[in-house]
Amino acid sequence: MKFSESHEWIEVQNGLGVVGISNHAQNELGDIVYIELPQVGKVVKAGEEAAVLESTKAAADVYSPVSGVIQEVNQKLSETPELVNSSPLKEGWLFKIKVQSPEELDKLMDADKYLSQFKS
Amino acid sequence: MTKTIFEKSQSKQHAYSLPRQWKALASFMPPKELCRESELTLPEISEIDLTRHFAELAQRNVGIDNCFYPLGSCTMKLNPRVNELAAALPGFTKSHPLAPPEAVQGNLQLIVELVDMLCEISGMSAGTLLPNAGSQGEFIGIQMISAYHKDRQDHARTEIIIPDNAHGTNPATAAMAGYKAVCVRSDASGDIDFEHLKELVSERTAGLMLTNPNTLGLFSPKILEITHLIHTHGGLLYYDGANLNPLLNIARPGDMGFDVMHINLHKTFSTPHGGGGPGSGPVLCNDKLKPFLPVPRVEKKGGSYRLVWQNGKSIGKIASFHGNFGIYLRAYLYAKLHGHAGLRRIAEISVLNANYLKKLLAPLFTVPFPQHCMHEFVLQADNYIDKGIRALDIAKRLLDYGVHAPTIYFPLIIKECMLIEPTESESKNTLDNFIEIMKIIVAEIHTNPEIVKTAPHSKPVRRLDEVLAAKKPILKHNGKAPPEASETTNHYPTV
Amino acid sequence: MDFVSNREPQIQEMLKVIGVKSIDELFTAIPKKLILPRPTDDDGLSEYEGLQLMQALAEKNGFTSFENYLGAGAYEHHVPAIVGAICSKSEFLTSYTPYQAETSQGMLQAIFEFQSAIAALTGMDVSNASLYDGASACGEAVLMAMRIHKTRQKILIADTLHPHYRDVVDLYLSSHDLSVEVIPRNKEGKIDLQQLKSLLDSNTAAVLLQSPNFLGLVEDIKPLAGAIKESGALLLLCANPLSYGIYASAGELGADIAIGDCQPFGLPLQFGGPYAGYLSCRQEFVRQMPGRLIGETLDTEGRRGFVLTLQAREQHIRREKATSNICTNQALAALASLIAMLWYGKEGLPKLALTNFQRASFLKAGLTAIPKIKALSPGTIFNEFAVSFGMPIEDVLKAFRAKGIEPGVPLGRFYPDLQDYLLIAVTETKSQQQLDKYIQTASEIVGKT
Repeated sequence: MKFSESHEWIEVQNGLGVVGISNHAQNELGDIVYIELPQVGKVVKAGEEAAVLESTKAAADVYSPVSGVIQEVNQKLSETPELVNSSPLKEGWLFKIKVQSPEELDKLMDADKYLSQFKS
Repeated sequence: MTKTIFEKSQSKQHAYSLPRQWKALASFMPPKELCRESELTLPEISEIDLTRHFAELAQRNVGIDNCFYPLGSCTMKLNPRVNELAAALPGFTKSHPLAPPEAVQGNLQLIVELVDMLCEISGMSAGTLLPNAGSQGEFIGIQMISAYHKDRQDHARTEIIIPDNAHGTNPATAAMAGYKAVCVRSDASGDIDFEHLKELVSERTAGLMLTNPNTLGLFSPKILEITHLIHTHGGLLYYDGANLNPLLNIARPGDMGFDVMHINLHKTFSTPHGGGGPGSGPVLCNDKLKPFLPVPRVEKKGGSYRLVWQNGKSIGKIASFHGNFGIYLRAYLYAKLHGHAGLRRIAEISVLNANYLKKLLAPLFTVPFPQHCMHEFVLQADNYIDKGIRALDIAKRLLDYGVHAPTIYFPLIIKECMLIEPTESESKNTLDNFIEIMKIIVAEIHTNPEIVKTAPHSKPVRRLDEVLAAKKPILKHNGKAPPEASETTNHYPTV
Repeated sequence: MDFVSNREPQIQEMLKVIGVKSIDELFTAIPKKLILPRPTDDDGLSEYEGLQLMQALAEKNGFTSFENYLGAGAYEHHVPAIVGAICSKSEFLTSYTPYQAETSQGMLQAIFEFQSAIAALTGMDVSNASLYDGASACGEAVLMAMRIHKTRQKILIADTLHPHYRDVVDLYLSSHDLSVEVIPRNKEGKIDLQQLKSLLDSNTAAVLLQSPNFLGLVEDIKPLAGAIKESGALLLLCANPLSYGIYASAGELGADIAIGDCQPFGLPLQFGGPYAGYLSCRQEFVRQMPGRLIGETLDTEGRRGFVLTLQAREQHIRREKATSNICTNQALAALASLIAMLWYGKEGLPKLALTNFQRASFLKAGLTAIPKIKALSPGTIFNEFAVSFGMPIEDVLKAFRAKGIEPGVPLGRFYPDLQDYLLIAVTETKSQQQLDKYIQTASEIVGKT
């Protein structure tokens, strides 16, 4: 699992990356009430806005950590957006993207480096 | 259990009366194929029940007339009742916006004189009363800046610089006008980080939007350098007038180097907040931007006043007619009553009151900026986080003591922020009372934090589930029975 | 005079507490050269003199001594006495935006009821808490349509939309890369289905129509709505909300967004404002609505309550990505409109609408029976219509005014091809006597030529 500076995570298997937001991010946002997910087939560049998460106190953009094409979105989130709060790294995944340039993953942080910014 | 007016409907009851019909009228009927087929589901309610319903609602609301309302950034000063009398004069209420100018000379005179007064106060040379609110004023001002650059064939200017502690309307307005909002940091003293500003300004800068004093209640001592910097790069300066109260007849934005600004009449000039509007956001500008002011404009020619609907370089129309005349006429009277000396007194006492409160509240909270403030100041409640108490909880507990909470969590850059603005209206007694209440609440935080955490206890409702409201929005009466309440259905829970 | 409370005794005590010798010491952050000299005389007024001043200004408005037939987006209606009584209550008049919900349940519930009333009247699923006026409501509706149809770049606007509203929409769109095309009116003063179809395409995001239109005519919306729906564009329908008392609601007509001005309900003319714009729409668009929204919820003890909701889209949170830069709504004006709508109620509102229609129709029939006076159109009206007197409009106006009548809005300023036409509005405030006098006066004016 790798992390971006804007608190997204991505886990890649066979060229398909699953993307979500980190535990820190969901905690900052508060209870998620609504999620705007991208269209399947949408082409995104690394760092481009791909989704919007809405809580009662904030609306936050989710940026795609890599460039590629959206293959699938998490349908469960329309009825139960709170999955992003309760299970941000697993059940609360947002979308799956076909990774276009695997070398972009090198620019992302690994879990230890990402988590170290929150220590003390 | 609270009932909406729809739930109080009783068949065939009504309040209305209509002027007398005469026989010939009955022969005129609208064609059936164009008529409404679906039922009009408005309530059926008698006049007495209507009266009591709103009396009930009034009892579940509070205004400045009822209690201290130290909302930072909102300037909750007294709304003088003499303004209401003036606004109700039939000569004003019955004047149609498209009446021939010769029949509404009084209105046109008021408009010209008010613009002149506001220009004098702000150090500007021209203005308009058309914007219906501060944010509309901002939109007009930024559009005028845009028109100015376009008029000079300068199409490279795509950015507006905005401080990180700015009110949310500023970046929203910049975006609405097609600009990229570029954020400049504040430094440790709460002022704009001048070094950062120097890095950001370029030939792409259309302008800088500033509030001064800023949203932390602090006046920027570097203001002349800031405006000079932007001007030397060809940009213009927009002044957000939300914090004009402490500057009335003390200092003028025009003199500081601003090119265009708006004033919030519902803040600085006492027009009533009305539960969230209507407001009025006049825009004032210097000669550079005068040609771009919206229409219609009012001019004095010879001894009379006329309306000018067309003007070459004007950016166009922002309002259906003449803006919120009924609101700005109140501001006119307010300014006339005060005169120059009275307006200055407003500024002086608003700053005195704020500094007095700040001094006596400082021991209770974190004070991020120790220097003297202007009309408002910021305190942080982050020193109570280890007791599980946040600014939100303190705000809610204040409601139990009959005081409205200050602004919380704005500006966004300050953690557990409380922005407090007493205004010049308040007496020392009221301020002392507020300080006492704060001391009591702080004591409660130490001895009984639970009561603060679950406040308010004495209002018609306890804390409301905002998550539920956003997830499953119910935005109108939907004909379903009201949700079940628990066994304790008192409107005023006892604790 | 001023409304400051603290005087010299308190000022001295407070300065001591702060630790300064004078108030001037609190202003030292301001560069000295910016500080204005202290005013030397007190040119303020007493409350009495202030009121005298306002009386004198109000008396300079000769307009109020004329019988008023001006409309064009602002109508003279009876304002029920109860409206002022309720709106001037301290708890409503002097309250702030209901951000602290527990202490603002009254206003929150009132605006929730306003949203409910507008939704009911317009026949739409949801309504917001009001916008500034009809013009800005049109502008916001167009921006909303663009957010919904992100890839479409064209807007069609009816030539018969209120010209001032049209100008404001242009200003709202000025920084966007959109193409705006005008649907011309036909010689009947209405929008033609053929014309509309020739302009509609797959790049059209929305079509903005008004009915009753600026010329007072009720448009044939159903076929127009059909064509619009087929193209995938949104129908934005601007209307005088009182007209929904007799005519088909926006919902019945197939509108996607309904907008307009609530001024006819409970809001005096006041030389153009404050009025209150409304915006209602279909359920699927609720998260794209601009402005404030009040929602129902429960408190921690299961009690029903009301809160500002869906605020994440608004400026104070979303900032540059907000749906709009709106901060205030027109709360107190919306409250006034709500009270008036309730005072008329289910039974009275349709009757009010009907009598407006009947009185206007009565005058129109009486005028067009006079030779030389021609109606612009035989089309169905609501409470407004256009006629020409077959003579220069200036002479018509002069002659009516000599009889104490302000007869209508000359259309030449808005539509150059309608130089000699007058737009006449008739509401429930016009009695049989007054209408007979109008007809009599018109007959004399025309008879003299």
